[in-house]
Amino acid sequence: MIEPASLANFFTIFFSAAMVIMLGALYALLFAYSRLKHDPRLMPVAYLSYIGLFVATLFLADAANLLKHPLWPVIVVLMLVGYLLAPHAIWHLCVGTHAEEQENTELLPSKNL
Amino acid sequence: MATTIGRLDGANLNGGQKLAVKYFFVAMILFGAQILFGMVAGLQYLKPDLFYGVLDFSVNRMVHVNAMIVWMLYGFIGSVYWMLEEESQHEVVGLKLGNLIFYVLTAAVTVVVLVYLFVQIGPGEQSSIWLINEGREYIEAPRWADIGIVVSVLVFFYNVAATFSKGKYTGIAGVLVLDLLALFGIYFAGMFYTTNISIDQYWWWWVIHLWVEATWEVLVACIMAYGLMKVLGVRRKIVETWLYIEVALMFGSGILGLGHHYFWIGTPEYWFTIGGLFSALEPIPLVAMVVHAVFDAGAKHIKNSNHPAMAWLIAHAFGNFFGAGVWGFMHTLPQINLYTHGTQWSASHGHLAFFGAYATIIIAVFYLAMQQWRGKVWMAGDLPGNGWKWKWALGLLNMGMVGMTVALLISGYEQSQIERAIGGSTWMGYFAAQAHPWFMQGMWWREVFGTMFAAGFVILMWDLWSIGKHETRPMQVAASQE
Repeated sequence: MIEPASLANFFTIFFSAAMVIMLGALYALLFAYSRLKHDPRLMPVAYLSYIGLFVATLFLADAANLLKHPLWPVIVVLMLVGYLLAPHAIWHLCVGTHAEEQENTELLPSKNL
Repeated sequence: MATTIGRLDGANLNGGQKLAVKYFFVAMILFGAQILFGMVAGLQYLKPDLFYGVLDFSVNRMVHVNAMIVWMLYGFIGSVYWMLEEESQHEVVGLKLGNLIFYVLTAAVTVVVLVYLFVQIGPGEQSSIWLINEGREYIEAPRWADIGIVVSVLVFFYNVAATFSKGKYTGIAGVLVLDLLALFGIYFAGMFYTTNISIDQYWWWWVIHLWVEATWEVLVACIMAYGLMKVLGVRRKIVETWLYIEVALMFGSGILGLGHHYFWIGTPEYWFTIGGLFSALEPIPLVAMVVHAVFDAGAKHIKNSNHPAMAWLIAHAFGNFFGAGVWGFMHTLPQINLYTHGTQWSASHGHLAFFGAYATIIIAVFYLAMQQWRGKVWMAGDLPGNGWKWKWALGLLNMGMVGMTVALLISGYEQSQIERAIGGSTWMGYFAAQAHPWFMQGMWWREVFGTMFAAGFVILMWDLWSIGKHETRPMQVAASQE
């Protein structure tokens, strides 16, 4: 079920795993900033970051032998879906929890998702 | 309450806060002890005969780690007492008992450390388990001290729960009381022995993981919620809603992340899969918080009342993200964790995560406490000397920690290859890795950055002692204007 990584893949695993988290944060940051500032030009850059995350995840999955056994690809899919949807979901929650204040502000963030 | 601006005056504090500053004072001493013993232990990697037979590496390392656990626990207890009366709108119930327990606990900690230092070697027997050292890494305190810790946390729980019961019961109160119950209960898992080492280690991890990655995280979330209301004036309704969301996300992924520790101790293999799955999901709440932070920062024009505290809260957000998120995920999957677990990789992750997630937020509360203790004094911009002391302390402590983390990472990377992957975790592999130039260079750099960190600590203590002294301006009111 668990096939240990080969020595040659150590660096790929460390680097791609770090990139997953860093690009996940960059995607979330740009996504939120684009919505907040009503700047649609940032959104493609946000999704470009997500594509980077996607590629990093595939490199990680390959180097860590995640695609060779039945359960581990599920984790890969969960990660990809989780990182994609989490910023959307949290944005919904932000808009909902701050709804009262937004009625009186000029900096009303976009509600369309 | 009459206040005297610019002077340390107990009249500026309520009962809970007076008790809190006692906890903070001991926490600072133990923080210093942690750094001192850590630096000596680090030197012993480079000069193995240093203090041999006088202050052995095993003892130094134990005091270094135990001092960290205890100073953070003191910091958390102090932080909760600090906010208790304001949050509950009621005097602390059982304050005398709380004060008594503070002195008993502090005396017990002192005795335990003295025993560690003066009784360093000898056979392990039933009596030594009860009186000298229980033998479990990180929670070495002898059994009598274990019982003392449980009683102290129970009294602390009583103080907090009873105060909230008689006063105002807020959302923060609800989360806090339940969390303290867990903090008290989980410690029991590390207090009994079984003759099977796998079963013993299985339960031992419950204390280590569930204290640190569950109950402490929730405590920090409560302190953060209070800190945001105090420093930025964020509304309670929003803070509490987010407290629930973040606690749910952390528990959802963190509890079963326990499996990412179950290596080399004989637990069933399915734990690797469980640990791998939930560890992979653990950073998602951190990424989600980025969205919330951007939303809040963009939707508000913020005036903060305490610049050093705010800076440390920001350091907390980054430190938690990098230390727990990035450094954790880099080696959390079992396919690689098999090689890195227990090497300096773990130490690298541990240093940045503990500092980023916990030390930073406790330091932020120290600054809030000093502001109040000096009579709600000005601590926003335009401080004397442009606030150079808090800025240098912040810079040196953070750069020192990042430097140590990278140095340990290099040594750990080498260990995972030479000792584990090539050497097959044999003794020969272990010593080959320890003698390798890359390992030694990492250890040297760790010591250099450790010195930088120690310098930052000295300036931090100086600043905490002097900030706001002779200041005549009252505190700037925190406001988050829509």
